[in-house]
Amino acid sequence: MSHLFEDQLDQIIASERARQPAPLNEWRTIAARAREEGLIRESQSRSWVAGQPWIQAAAAVLLLVGGIAIGRTTIALPSSGHPGENPGQATISGTSTASTAPAISTMGDSFASVDDASATLERALGEYQRASAFLAANSSGPTTADSSRIYKDRLAALDEVGNAMESALRTAPHDPVINQYYLATMGARVATQQMVARPVGLALRGF
Amino acid sequence: MTKKVSEMPFDQLDLKRAITGDERAMQRLWSQHAPHIDAVVRRLCGDPELAADVSQEVWMQIFRALPSYRGDSQFGTWAHRIAVNRTLNALRKIRRLAKLETDIEDDSALIEMDTDRTFLAESIEQAMARLSPGTRAVFVLHDIEGYTHGEIGVELGITPGGSKSQLFKARARLRRLLAHLVDESIPVGKGKEHVAPV
Repeated sequence: MSHLFEDQLDQIIASERARQPAPLNEWRTIAARAREEGLIRESQSRSWVAGQPWIQAAAAVLLLVGGIAIGRTTIALPSSGHPGENPGQATISGTSTASTAPAISTMGDSFASVDDASATLERALGEYQRASAFLAANSSGPTTADSSRIYKDRLAALDEVGNAMESALRTAPHDPVINQYYLATMGARVATQQMVARPVGLALRGF
Repeated sequence: MTKKVSEMPFDQLDLKRAITGDERAMQRLWSQHAPHIDAVVRRLCGDPELAADVSQEVWMQIFRALPSYRGDSQFGTWAHRIAVNRTLNALRKIRRLAKLETDIEDDSALIEMDTDRTFLAESIEQAMARLSPGTRAVFVLHDIEGYTHGEIGVELGITPGGSKSQLFKARARLRRLLAHLVDESIPVGKGKEHVAPV
């Protein structure tokens, strides 16, 4: 039986030493294990929102309420709310919105079940989308250069508030008060963005 | 041009981020060191499936131990030591490395020669897989990873002399298994005896 000489074997070993084959596992396999063991820190804001659909729905409602409230109050239109409606029910994060949309009138009511609450949230989301589209296409009053500047200033201020809220969320991701402020801020920001983007001179015809 | 994440060097900032559980920093660490770390695991295990499992354990141990890394040695060296220890422990647990000393005494050379007549290794990796776990561990640690016989003795709980015997046995068998791979073009020395570092 033939044999290699020692230095021939050394050459083969040297080649093997230099060889670096592909890793034995894919990163996602390693990451999954690390995640199981809690070695990977989940992105708090991402996991918090992504893992809880009801929060997304609640955010949609707040966007709806915030957008409409800010649109109405900043343009100082007379209220289109129902006579006798309790203004206290329309308070979002301390902002009184006596002229809010009908959807908000149910906020003080209790729900019969989780399905009932979910259905209401879904309806509110639809309302929000409709209202957003309408507000984006129409004005709530004659827009002047001054009001446009006011909106831009407000947008800049809301950006700062949003950043502060995001920072607060990282500190207290599950705090309901912080979450409420954050969502209200984002709702107000979206509404203000729509007002900024609106052409000067357009007037709201109705909703 | 922007470098891809996997190509970026692993630096101190990434280390700090990885300690806090930043996945991207951990992935950069893994991307940079996995080829070398996984190679030693694969060689010691001699079985790709087992090696893949052990490699997962090794990387979990590396990530768990990150906070204890003090920077006294290169990160790769530190991680490599963990890989070797963890792999040897895994092999012990499944009793593939339980009786290393008896391997030395085991006079199975005649049987091995007989089976090697019909087996043609296509690579040294395949040939190494034919070695007994203890013999393979000594060969990998000494000839590929550069450990001394003293260090191997500590790692495997054997004497330096036992390590030398294992290495002699491993190389003799590899020379038989790989003989057919060598053609006339490879320069041949004068048939000198083994001169691996001690």
